[in-house]
Amino acid sequence: MGEYTGATADRSAAAAARPVAKWLKRLGLLPWAAPALLFMLCFAFYPLGYSLYISFFNYSLTDPTQTQEFAGLANYLKAFADPAFRVAALNSVLFVILAVGAQTVLGLAIAVLLNRDRPGTPLVRTLLLAPLTLTPIVVALVWRALYNADYGVVSYYLKALGVNVGRGPIGEPSTALLALVIVDVWQWTPLVALMLLAGLRSQSADLFEAAQIDGASGWQQFWCVALPLLRPILIVALLIRTMDVFKLFDSVFIVTGGGPGYATEVMNHYIFKTGLTFFDMGYAAAMSNLLLVLIGLFTAVYFRAIGQLGVTQ
Amino acid sequence: MMGRRRQRAADAVTYTLLALIMGFFLFPFVWLLSTSLKPARDAFAIPPVWIFRPIMDNFRTVFSMVPVVAYLKNSLTIALGTTALSLLLGVPAGYGLARTASRAAGNSALLMLAIRMAPPVALLIPFYLVMRDIRLLGTYLAVILLQSVFNTTFVAWMMRGYFLSLPADLELAAMTDGCTRFGAFWRVALPLAVPGLATAGIFTFTFSWNDFLLPMLLSGRTTRTLTLGILETMSTYEIGWNNMAAIGMITILPVLLLGYILQPYYVRGLTLGAVRE
Repeated sequence: MGEYTGATADRSAAAAARPVAKWLKRLGLLPWAAPALLFMLCFAFYPLGYSLYISFFNYSLTDPTQTQEFAGLANYLKAFADPAFRVAALNSVLFVILAVGAQTVLGLAIAVLLNRDRPGTPLVRTLLLAPLTLTPIVVALVWRALYNADYGVVSYYLKALGVNVGRGPIGEPSTALLALVIVDVWQWTPLVALMLLAGLRSQSADLFEAAQIDGASGWQQFWCVALPLLRPILIVALLIRTMDVFKLFDSVFIVTGGGPGYATEVMNHYIFKTGLTFFDMGYAAAMSNLLLVLIGLFTAVYFRAIGQLGVTQ
Repeated sequence: MMGRRRQRAADAVTYTLLALIMGFFLFPFVWLLSTSLKPARDAFAIPPVWIFRPIMDNFRTVFSMVPVVAYLKNSLTIALGTTALSLLLGVPAGYGLARTASRAAGNSALLMLAIRMAPPVALLIPFYLVMRDIRLLGTYLAVILLQSVFNTTFVAWMMRGYFLSLPADLELAAMTDGCTRFGAFWRVALPLAVPGLATAGIFTFTFSWNDFLLPMLLSGRTTRTLTLGILETMSTYEIGWNNMAAIGMITILPVLLLGYILQPYYVRGLTLGAVRE
């Protein structure tokens, strides 16, 4: 839909005469987005450009002389050689796989359970919204308390079941990452479930009747009809959740602080620590650019999948 | 068709599974609510105390421990400021992108989506330096500006989708009757888009209210938000959970209410309009 074209005859004649006006006409209503784009330019793209710039410098805020010494690619090379960064990158990817995987499986199960109208299912749908709205920092503090080795409710019941919790779920390096994944699964599975439920609800009943007439069992109907039709929404859900898990900060910062050791260190948190507690700005900027590249790679994969399916907005 | 007995068995299995799932999703919330109403010694009692006489003492204590009212005011100022700025920039942008079918418009929309996907930390570090240089660190404005970067893109995408779902013919009719483009937007399109506007606004408010990372770095002593205030109840006693739970309840109550109001639009909002219920 372009700019309204049939205003008055003389106006369009004038537009044809003047190249500037013609160009303006071709722009359509894009100038309406100009203030927002200008705002992005100042407060998003300028900082990002600045971040690219300082990533080539040794720039420490704690340095009293505040010198910015050109370092070339040193900060990037440092990241690849830094064991902590490598662990953080690996943990970030592992976190995405575990959390998004669990959210998809559990979300699909919940969506299927809620798809058939039974008394009580609307109430369940309403209650499922609660985790989505809750302040992440409050959620993180609640789980930190629940996981406390000595007084935490989760630790207590695990012990009652005869599980040796040691220093607690978040105190043991072997379970700490999994404990954090559970926090994310708790808060965001409902979103995936409700997305997939919306997808299931939009599927026409005729298809399933046809499948039934052809002798398909309930399981076959699900695997061969419902699930393939759900693919576009499933991919969008995966994309949204993957992006969000890469942004994960609050729960790592509050629940484990990246520990014990580097067991739950993720890129976001490590960058934050490097830049804003150790004030090594050049290195932090270099790492955040690497994170952007990693996210870009994941996005490209999803967009390819979306493109292949021919799904459009 | 399924037999009656089989149907009943299926129902029993479904309800059992749903009960287990709801137990998992409600349990942390029940813990928070009950802990906020417990006396200190019950808050971390082992074995956990689930039956007790609820008291309001924690809420009273929290108000004397932390300047809750000031933090509420700061959170509200920042959330309202972010909402206003994001709507002011994002709504016309969404309209322009919805009513322009050029490649430039498509690319601008994708550019905004890319910003939305960038992790806040990547922007936060250079933004922090910029704000320091122009001496805005510690002000409401610093927090509002960066939150608005993320939320303007959100509003623009939401509103683009909303305006696309409205017929353009009405605006064209208004323009043949002598309305300017702005008049057609203001008098025809915008009133029709009020539900979308309300949804985008409430979401932005919620995102801003729930934010912790940006205020932690960008706000100052006099502009601290409630999400930062919660941590102050934790610093002295690691297991002072009853007070933390009380201020936590104060923090989540507004967003929980807004979420309840927005219920029919929630999934659509969180998926940037990709999924409609």
